[in-house]
Parts: sequence; structure tokens; C-alpha cells
Amino acid sequence: MEEMDLYRHTDTINELLARYGVKFGIYKNNEFREQLFPFDAIPRIITASEFEYLEKGLKQRVMALNAFIKDIYGDKLILRDKVVPEEFIFASSGYLAQCEGILPPKGVYTHISGIDLVQGKDRQWYILEDNLRVPSGASYPMIARNLCRRSSPLTFQQNHIEDNRNYAELLRRTMDHVNTGGHTVILTPGRYNAAYFEHSYLAEMTGAHLVTGSQLVVKNDHLYFIDYSGKLEPVGAVYRRISDEYLDPMTFNRESVIGIPHIYDIYRKGNVALLNAPGNGVADDKGIYYFVPKMIRYYLDEDPILQNAPTYLPYYKEDMSYVLEHFDHLVLKDVAEAGGYGVVFGSKMTAEEKEHFLCLLKKEPRRFIAQEVIDFLDLDIMDDDKMVPRKADLRAFVLLGDGPMVWKSGLTRFSRNPDSFIVNSSQGGGFKDTWVLSQ
Amino acid sequence: MKKLHFIYSMTLAFDNPVRQHRFTLKCVPLSSERQQILDLSTSVYPNEFLSSDRDSFGNHCIYGYAQGLYDHFSVTVTGTALTGLSSFETARQVYQLGLFRYQTDMTRPGPCIRAFHDRFSFSEETTALDRALTYMRTLYGTFHYLPQSTGIETTAEEALVLGNGVCQDYSHILLSLCRMEKIPCRYVVGMMTGEGQSHAWVEICHDGHWIALDPTNNVLPDDQHIKISAGRDCKDCTINQGLFTGQTTQTQTVHVSVTEQQDQS
Amino acid sequence: MGIISIENTDRLFWLGRYSERVYTTIRLFSVSYDDMIDTYANSYQDFCSRLDIPNIYQGKEHFIQCYCFDGTNPDSIYSNLMRAYDNGITLREEIGSESLSYIQLAVYEMNKAKLSSAPLIELQRVLDNLLAFWGIADDSIDSENVRNIIKVGKRIERLDLYARLQMSPEELHREVARLSGRLPRTNLKYSAVQLDSLRTLVQQPEINYRDIVFSAEHLIV
Repeated sequence: MEEMDLYRHTDTINELLARYGVKFGIYKNNEFREQLFPFDAIPRIITASEFEYLEKGLKQRVMALNAFIKDIYGDKLILRDKVVPEEFIFASSGYLAQCEGILPPKGVYTHISGIDLVQGKDRQWYILEDNLRVPSGASYPMIARNLCRRSSPLTFQQNHIEDNRNYAELLRRTMDHVNTGGHTVILTPGRYNAAYFEHSYLAEMTGAHLVTGSQLVVKNDHLYFIDYSGKLEPVGAVYRRISDEYLDPMTFNRESVIGIPHIYDIYRKGNVALLNAPGNGVADDKGIYYFVPKMIRYYLDEDPILQNAPTYLPYYKEDMSYVLEHFDHLVLKDVAEAGGYGVVFGSKMTAEEKEHFLCLLKKEPRRFIAQEVIDFLDLDIMDDDKMVPRKADLRAFVLLGDGPMVWKSGLTRFSRNPDSFIVNSSQGGGFKDTWVLSQ
Repeated sequence: MKKLHFIYSMTLAFDNPVRQHRFTLKCVPLSSERQQILDLSTSVYPNEFLSSDRDSFGNHCIYGYAQGLYDHFSVTVTGTALTGLSSFETARQVYQLGLFRYQTDMTRPGPCIRAFHDRFSFSEETTALDRALTYMRTLYGTFHYLPQSTGIETTAEEALVLGNGVCQDYSHILLSLCRMEKIPCRYVVGMMTGEGQSHAWVEICHDGHWIALDPTNNVLPDDQHIKISAGRDCKDCTINQGLFTGQTTQTQTVHVSVTEQQDQS
Repeated sequence: MGIISIENTDRLFWLGRYSERVYTTIRLFSVSYDDMIDTYANSYQDFCSRLDIPNIYQGKEHFIQCYCFDGTNPDSIYSNLMRAYDNGITLREEIGSESLSYIQLAVYEMNKAKLSSAPLIELQRVLDNLLAFWGIADDSIDSENVRNIIKVGKRIERLDLYARLQMSPEELHREVARLSGRLPRTNLKYSAVQLDSLRTLVQQPEINYRDIVFSAEHLIV
């Protein structure tokens, strides 16, 4: 590794990020505000051989998850063979009965997966979470890389770093692969969505049209974009950044005003591709996470390459007794929560909180998972002029088109608070560029 | 076996005309092991665009839209049903029926249904059908039929607390009880001989067969019931769902008529 | 011509109008501001009546703060810039991140001006960024339609402002000529009658400014 001066440019890059409006929206006290996403210029560096290992493992995991979703909404063989107990499917809010029996275009459900990983001090990588609904975050490292190269050209001249600005091209390929004929659009809930910057940036970079529900209409069993003159332009693929329940008021939430009536009916007929497929939530909640290594064995007949963080399901008696015995060493997660919420550490509870929690755990064991607290490998960030270690994770992006593709980068998020494990941007976290070395 | 002639007709009258009307209808009976549907005829007004498909439960859906201004919307379905061809429909494999074994927002039990459930203790050997029959009979004896006492959003628990309701409520309560026993069961919408409204009942899965139970009448439907659709609860079987633009009050009239035809042959 | 929605057509037009409104009103404000330093403390009263905006201001200081920077005052420069920003931010894929960044930079400079004891310095940077925005929009946006909608918005706004300010017939004549050349090269629906009437109005010996404002406001249908 050559000397790099990139980290001296943190302020410059943050100024440039502000210039380009790289922000996310948050609601505080019912008021919409835009916040900058703080950037730290010291990159996460993944060597070529390490990436090769991650790439293999991520592809394997996503192929198994895709097969699982197809099976669950189809033959349900994994339930017949009792690899996954059925309550983890049918009692989960991510399972949508409306998806039963539907095969999406080209059999792809998980077009864009955001897989969250952490690295332990032993250098071992662990999967923390699979995000198969509308994972966001790829736009930030994409634009940051541009600005890093501008700020410190020498760094990129002297190091051999895979260019990550091809994400738009990978995404375009993924969308084109399933397109049933017509334009490709990115469907946003609108300007006041937290990830609106990303929606608009991905539209710009992929050349897809950014639309809201009111600009699309179902007619004659096909989907159309309404041009300014009222002319209808056919749409063959919708990268929708709105959640399943709001997609179609005729099939899901009847109150939804941001969806498109009857889009689900023509999707069922195979006349439009929806990315990601509705119903994917059945495969990415924290309860089903436990079973992913088993899915890999079941569907692919392979050993999982990437490990889950050691996880216990209090649903199983032996796991429950382990959890009760080792409670103070575990982190407990509510399977229904996301975004860093519903996560508690056994060691940080007061006696009263603990008693209350145990009571809840025994009453609703299926609602929680317990994990060993991983001794994270911290990453350095610049805090004023000092380098300080902070907790960080990595969201890897896997796109499934003709075959799986792992983006040679990712979103590295870190906690700015030295005592916190929570890296979510909604809770004040920052981000870094992720370098994959080409040699 | 019976040969039943049926008419299902529904009209929505708008006091102010509406436009951009989008609708999904589930009001067409399908042939199955139990019933054969002949001479089916369907008419929808307005019919600017109509399409049809099966939903994920296998129900027949008609969907479409009308952009123009209309002061009413109507659908009429007529045909002949040969009923009582079998006492069951063959179910999918047990492991494929999980979705019918879990409570929904409409059937989730509260203290009242739990107390009702706790009055029974079955031996291990008691079959799914016997459990369901026990619930049905008891429910029939304690719950009262009272038209207009509940609404389409009334849950099983709310209805049982009230102590009275209509066929939808009888069915939701029975579903709730069966699901507490992990019996796969589904909500059925259909028609019954006579004049009036659409009807609802329940099917439970017993020994690989879907067996129908009509808790409102405390009977096992045989050849007087024509099935239209099935799902986890009433929401999956909504007969008419629509969205339109316009400030209006809508008045719905439904007329169902099922009469036995004397065989001429 | 690529496909474009009615919403985006509308937003491009208003992005053009609001960016022009901010640009021209800052330039006018700068003249008044100079007067107010030591010559004529009440020059803002003339300013309001020329621009035809309500004089809600309680004095020079209040005028400077409220007319320039108060987001709750619908006539403030700040409010108009935020309207330009709100339209711009939903147009990233039409106009590109590079063009959009200059609107964003103008907003940052505006926020700095608010805190400054010599706001004309930062307001000058707002102008610089708006000029850069128009320059790059013209230079880098592929779609001629998109470029022209922004320009039409800008021209209509300028004509409207110039007519309210009762500028010279030559100025108005020039603005109408630029507008009539541009308008047919967009997908905007406009009234040929109003365009004709604008052409006639600016050639009259006695300029009827009210009618010009009216026709400018009713040109786009």
C-alpha cells in the first residue's frame, strides 16, 4: 500500500457531498428535515483475495434466498422437510399470501440484495442481516468515490482500486434482464422519503425515469407511463422504492395513495417486472436469518461459505436454556424491528429491565433472537485531527440478473459515538468508501 | 345432487357521478369437485375495460376500470350449478396449507374467544372435524343471528363480545377457534338457496379434504350452497372492491336468488 | 424528444421562473440596499411599490432581514429560492447532478448571507451560482426541450418583472422577441393569442404595462 493522503481531505469531500445534495431525510417532531450523511475519508480496504471469498459466499447466500422465496410461494418443500418450522413463515409479517403461486419474470425475486456483514477482531466475517425488500445505500459510496478521486488523485493513481462507479451499469443490466418490454422506471414515494437522494441519483445514473405512482397507470393489462401530452408509454420494469403494502391499493393496503391500482394483477400475469419482488420480506426477517445456512445446504447442497453471527432461537428449548444461562453475554433482537431499533444487550440491562424482558421472552419466544456479542474489528475514523476507532459494518450489494453479481464496493457505515454499536444513518451514523483492491 | 339456477346481482348507485373507477370483483363461482358451473354469464357495467384472472387463492377475479362519468356500477352473474357432487374438495398437502392455520387480524382471538376455547378440552384422538363440529354447535347455541348488528370491519373477538352478528361473524369466530387448534381452515363466500344476500361459511381441512361447515345454520353444506371464493378471512374474498374519483354517497344493493331447477331430461 | 411527465414539465418551468425571480430581485435589492446605507433609509418603500409587493416592513433593518431571508414571508428572496430548490431537487435525472449542485450552492450562500453583516457579498455568490446554473444547464442538458422549458420560465418571469418595473420599451421588446423564438421549441402548451398580443403590446407608442403582465401570466396554459 502506497502512502495515501486521502484522509486529509475529509472536510473537502464532505463539502463536495453537501454541494451535490447528498442527504437523507428524517422526520423529527413531525417535521421533515434533510441531513447530510457524514463521510469519513479513511476507506475500508478489502483485498482482492478477501473479496473473492466474500463474493463467493454472498452469491451463494443470495441464490439460496432466491430459491427459498420461490419455494415458499410455490411448493413449500422446505416445510415438508421440516428444515424451517412453518410458524417462522406464516406468522411473520413479511409473508404475503397474495404472492402465493406467482412466478416473477425470469424467476428472480431478489434482484437487489443488501447483505450486512461485520468483521470480528479475528478477521472472520459474519453476516448480520439480509435486506431483500428495498435495501438502500449504494448511491452514497458511488458519488463519494467520484469526489475522493477528485480530492486526492494521487491516492487512486498509486493504489489499485476497483472502480465502483459501475453500480449503475450493474443495476441497469439487472433491470433490463427482467424487463418485459418497455421503459424502465424507478418508483419513488416522493421527495419527502428518507432515501430520495438515492432514488433520484440512481435514476440519473441508470437513465431510468424517476416516477411517482400518479405518473403510472394500468391499462389493457399493461403498465404505462403518462407522458406530458397524455400519451401512454409502455413500462416493462419498475424498480420500486416503495414497500409492498403501498404498491397496489387493490391488493394490499387499500388506503395507499402512492401506489398504482391493479399493478399487482398485471405483475401476476407476467406483464411487468417489479424489483424487488413483493413478498421478499418472508426471507429477511431476523427470525428467518437463523435458517439461512440451513437453506444453503437444503437448496444448493453446499456448505455455507459465510457464517452467521452465532445465533440462538429461544423458540427451541435447548436454545432458550442457553440464552437464559448466558443472558449477560448476549445481544437480543426483536425480529419485527429494523433500523437498529429493538436491539438490547443483556449486560446493559438493569435488574428490573432484565426481569421484564425475560418475562416477555418466555411469553413470546418466537419474537426474539439472541446473538453472541461479536468482538468487532473497529475501523479508524478521523475525529478532528485524531484517528479514533469506531464500530462499523458493511452492506454488500448483490444484484441478481442473468446470474448473481457482487458489487466491488459496498456501504461501510460507522457509529460516530464511541460507545455505540448502532451504525444506522437514521441514528447519526456516518459512512466510508469501501475499496476492493484489484491486486 | 341438485341443479340450482343462480343470479347474483349487485348495484352501486352514486348520487354524484364518479369517474376513474377501478374495480376488482370476486363474484363468479368456479367448478370444483363439489359443484359444476354451467351456462355462466357475467355482465358488468360500465365495461370500458375488463380482464380476468385467478388470485393467489385460486378465486376467479374480474378486474377493470372505467374512466368516464357514471352514476352507477353494476354486475350480474347468472348460471346453473350442479351441487352436491361430492362432500369435499381435495386439499393440497398438509405442509402447503400453513397459511390457513394462522390467525389474521380478523380472526385473532382476544380474552372472549380464548375463554370460549378454554371451555373445551379434547382428547388427543379427537379429529379436526369433531373439534370443529363441537365449536360450531356450541357457537350456534350461544351466538345470535342479528342482521346489521356488525359491520365488515368487525373482528371475530368483537363479534363474540357483542354476542350477535351475521354469517361473516359466525365464520370468523369458528375460524379463530379452529386456528387455536392449528386446524387449517378457510373463509368461504357463496350463495344459498332462496332469496337474499350472499352468504359466508367455513371450510376446514380434515384428512386431506376440505369439509364445509356453515355455522350460521349449524349444518354441513351439501347441495344447497354454491361456493364463490375462499381465503383466510373476509378480506381475501371481498366481492367488490373499488376506487374512484368523485365526491359521492354510494348505495349498494345486492340481490341473490338461487332456485332449484326441476330436471327436464 | 425523450419522454417527460406533465409534473416535470411544470417543475422545469417553475425552476426557470423562480431562479430568475431570485436573480433579478437580488440585483434590484442591491441597488436599494446601497441607497439605504446613507442616502435614503426608506428606499425600500419605493422598492415594494415598484415590485408590486405588500409593504409589510417596519423599517430598514426589518426589511433587509424579512424581505431577503424570512422563510415565512412568501415574497422573500429566500422563499423564492427555496421554491426554485424544491422544484430542482425533483429534477435530478432531467437536469443532472452537476446543474442541480449550483442551486444547492445558492441555497448555502443564502443561508450564509442571512448571518452576515455585509449580506451583499454572499448575495453576490448567490447570483454567481444562479448564473453558473443557467450556464451549465444550457451546456450540459442533452434534451433541447428540457433546456428550453427552463429558459421559457426564465423569460416569462423576466418579462413579468420588467413590465411591473415599467422598464423601457426596448427592454420589453427584446424579452418578448427572445420568448417567442424559444416557446415553440418546447412541449409547453401556450396560448398563441396571448403571444400575439404580447408582440403587439410591446410595439405600442404608449406601453400598457398592466396588459403585458396579464398576457405574460396567461401565456402558458
